Amino acid sequence: MYSLSARLLVSVSVLLLLFFGATIVLLDFAFRDAGEQAQRDILDGHLMSLLASAEPGNTAELQMPIDLPEARFGTIDSGLYAEIRHRDGEAFWQSTSALGMTFPDVVIPEYGSPRFAEEVLTDGTPLLTLTMAVQWEFPDESLRPFVFRVAESLDSFNAQIAAFRQQMFTWFGAIALLMLVTISIIMRRLLKPLRQIEGEIGEIETGTRQSLSGEYPTELRGVARNMNLLIDTERARSDRYRTTLDNLAHSLKTPLAAVRALLREKTSVDFETRANEQIDHMDEIVRYQLRKPAAGKQGLGAGSVSVAEEITRLVAGLSKVYSEKNPTFDIQVDDKTRFRGDRGDFMEVAGNLLDNACKWCESQVAFRMNDAGTEIVVNDDGPGIPDDAVSEILQRGARLDENTPGHGIGLAIVREIAESYSGELSIQKSALGGAQIRVTIPSD
Amino acid sequence: MRLLVIEDDATLRASLVEQLGEGGFATEEAADGKEGLYFAMEYPIDLAIVDLGLPEMSGLDLIREVRAQGKSYPILILTARDRWEDKVLGLEAGADDYVVKPFHFEEVSARVNALLRRSGGWASSTMTAGPMTLDMSRQEVKMNDESVELTSFEYKIMEYLMVRAGQVISKSELTERLYDQDFERDSNVIEVFIGRLRKKLDPENTIKPIETLRGRGYRFGLERNQA
Repeated sequence: MYSLSARLLVSVSVLLLLFFGATIVLLDFAFRDAGEQAQRDILDGHLMSLLASAEPGNTAELQMPIDLPEARFGTIDSGLYAEIRHRDGEAFWQSTSALGMTFPDVVIPEYGSPRFAEEVLTDGTPLLTLTMAVQWEFPDESLRPFVFRVAESLDSFNAQIAAFRQQMFTWFGAIALLMLVTISIIMRRLLKPLRQIEGEIGEIETGTRQSLSGEYPTELRGVARNMNLLIDTERARSDRYRTTLDNLAHSLKTPLAAVRALLREKTSVDFETRANEQIDHMDEIVRYQLRKPAAGKQGLGAGSVSVAEEITRLVAGLSKVYSEKNPTFDIQVDDKTRFRGDRGDFMEVAGNLLDNACKWCESQVAFRMNDAGTEIVVNDDGPGIPDDAVSEILQRGARLDENTPGHGIGLAIVREIAESYSGELSIQKSALGGAQIRVTIPSD
Repeated sequence: MRLLVIEDDATLRASLVEQLGEGGFATEEAADGKEGLYFAMEYPIDLAIVDLGLPEMSGLDLIREVRAQGKSYPILILTARDRWEDKVLGLEAGADDYVVKPFHFEEVSARVNALLRRSGGWASSTMTAGPMTLDMSRQEVKMNDESVELTSFEYKIMEYLMVRAGQVISKSELTERLYDQDFERDSNVIEVFIGRLRKKLDPENTIKPIETLRGRGYRFGLERNQA
């Protein structure tokens, strides 16, 4: 489930179900308990009034008046019933309401301790019964045992409980629904800025907007800011690519025109040399333009590169290529050192510097990068670079030695990349005797 | 020496094959990765030149496969991709060197010769053994600093034997590696050439640069000089 609103609604629904469920169970229990207690008290009252109404007759029986104080005893099927029986015999009196009804069998309790029981009539009606055994003192001073029973149908009580439950479900259901509706409305309001971001990004895609508006709640301001940064970086990057392509296309046109012009004089003696010159020139242009920095420092896209790992790969590769010279590589890089930027850029810088060092060295190449990843120093024990050639060599495409192609262009590319990271490249004399190239890149 | 050229551009491939042929190499050619892999696995090859951007199967995959199948001859990559990332990937796949397009043929030729020498265990560009010197880039053989005039086929045999100094090379291997496919193979011709070589290099028969091992083949027998 990927919608935040849906997730929240489901969570809240589950919570409501749990909380309201528990509440309903507790309320139901309490209500039922109180109701039953009340029911017993009432039944107890009826029993007391029956006892009060009974009079010893002139025979050995008790006499009951026709009209009892509780009218329900006198109404057939009123739900309230009574009977009096001899302790060891048949019932000799039943209330009018109990006409035609058979009381369930009785368990006679001890004298003076009334006994409640829930029983069921043969027609299925649930009853709460109260049974009490008494010894009645007759005028002749004899004590005779009797059993008084009152019973009340639980139908109406159960109906009350059911009504209560239904009410409870209705109300809690309504409250839960109300809460869910409220929460979805709140969610819609809360998520509105996200939809706004989505809309604005859509507008950026179609080009009707330059950046996100920035009028966002505190929590989203960071996202919006970073998004803008990303958009700017992307735009800068695509601008850079466009410029590169533009430069590439335009700078190729001159040599192309030259080649076309040359074709007219293809019989001339130096035709091949001059054509090759133009081809080399075009090749140089393409290499220079295509190897320009990939990312530059700014931007979220730039990751970080494990220097030791990449240097190991480069040294393994260069050892193969320069296996005849078999230079000694002295690599000083901490395993944890990272270059913060594009991997391709780092490979270009390190690859060109190491390649140049291998090309020019007698037998030693040293690579060192500080732990902060802000300075690369490459030394070799070759002839070094004369002072007056340093500025020339940094010009794009300049070559000191035509027989070793790529020296100048390599350093020009390294310098270009360093500058795109606001860094710089410098050339000194190496303690090893050859050239020392130092590339520094500020940490922020 | 038999070289395999795997390059999908017909013009470039034809030019390479032609110029390598002029340089004394027998060549096989393939226009795509699958065909190239077949040649690389099934033919007697001394060195392969592989373009990276090939149809059917990329050059990188081809090189990995060739290496995985245990072939150890040198592989030179031709590539238009000159970022270090790509070069390192190629070398990691199992190539030994690379040349970036567009190249001068001289560069390819120099790398090929260097790789072949290296594969025979020679470190410097001229191979010297006893009084004898062979310069692959000039296709020149000297005896006691005197240049010896050899025909191109004589030179090819000498170069092949000397690159593999110390190894026994059978007549059939020599015909296989030195003739182009369509050439009629006859091992008697090899014997004739070896005889002529011996006369030209060692008229007095005192140095004995080429040994005959009966029933097995020939061996360049002079001790290699250092470097």
